Amino acid sequence: MRLLQNISHALCAAALAALPVAAAAQSAGVGFVKTVTGDAWVTTTGQRVKAAPGTEVAIGSQIKTAPGASLGITFKDNTVMSFGPDTEMTVDAYLYAPAQGQLQLSTSLAKGSLNYVSGVIAKLKPDAVTVKTPSGIIGVRGTQFLAKVEAPQ
Amino acid sequence: MSRNQLPAPVVKLACAALLASLLSACAGPQSYVALVPSPDGSLGKVSVQGQRGDQLLTRAKQGALLDGSKPPFDVSDEQLQRDFGAAMRARPVLPEQFLLYFETGGSELTAESKALLQRVVQSALARASVDMSVIGHSDTQGAADANEALALARATAIAEQLRGMGLANTAMAIESHGERNLLVPTPDETAEPRNRRVEITLR
Repeated sequence: MRLLQNISHALCAAALAALPVAAAAQSAGVGFVKTVTGDAWVTTTGQRVKAAPGTEVAIGSQIKTAPGASLGITFKDNTVMSFGPDTEMTVDAYLYAPAQGQLQLSTSLAKGSLNYVSGVIAKLKPDAVTVKTPSGIIGVRGTQFLAKVEAPQ
Repeated sequence: MSRNQLPAPVVKLACAALLASLLSACAGPQSYVALVPSPDGSLGKVSVQGQRGDQLLTRAKQGALLDGSKPPFDVSDEQLQRDFGAAMRARPVLPEQFLLYFETGGSELTAESKALLQRVVQSALARASVDMSVIGHSDTQGAADANEALALARATAIAEQLRGMGLANTAMAIESHGERNLLVPTPDETAEPRNRRVEITLR
């Protein structure tokens, strides 16, 4: 009986120890792919997956669309970003904890085209949203904008 | 070769020059950002901090080069379509929010909110790919800890009902904001029906 109790205690401890890991894995996602036409990929920590509706996007993820392809993402704070053909974008930083005042959305657009619709982060803290490009940084005051980056010749 | 005809190499050159000028006219500005109204009709601002200057866009369909080297310019609808048509068509259905209200104390929805739940399910199923957040809130009556737990119980109860109504496989983030995020600001220990709510966002 004592042995059984010990085993069950050990199992409980193991289960509890596993919990934070599961929670951390869940919170890594900051958005989901919602639309895809043609070939597009999401690369996160070296793992490249073909993008489909429901593919998770995390901090550090690189989004890539093939010539002729397009893709759309909705982030947890309701920011919506969609991309035209031959585009490369990286999610550099994402913080969404409004209660703690922790808000940030930083992305880099290396090339291609972007349609951005602001979400809660831009509404609560406009300075917290930036899109870096090879020649300049775009800042946002709660709006929709379009950006095109020509690949260096 | 008759007298009226130009030598072939000259024709070729002229054609090439014409083509090049046409192409550059079509290509428009190279790397730029353009401000357009938000889907709700409001217009914000966009700033550019470029390698060669700073610019601020405040009018619809105004553009600025990303290096900031030139003052803002107007961008035609045709140009926007050419450069951004594909990106605009790829825009996902915008997120949609619903508010459900509760009777005092427990996780029982008001009659109106029960009816709204069916609409939430219909809207969710109409999306090609949906994830949702279910956030519980309380009013300020009672202790903050108890309200934190009560709001979580509300969110969990709603999430379970939604799963039973056809959303069993939908990604749901269930959270409690307790009495920390009031819809209607009140002092502590105030019963306020509009603060007893669950916010559902479909994405």
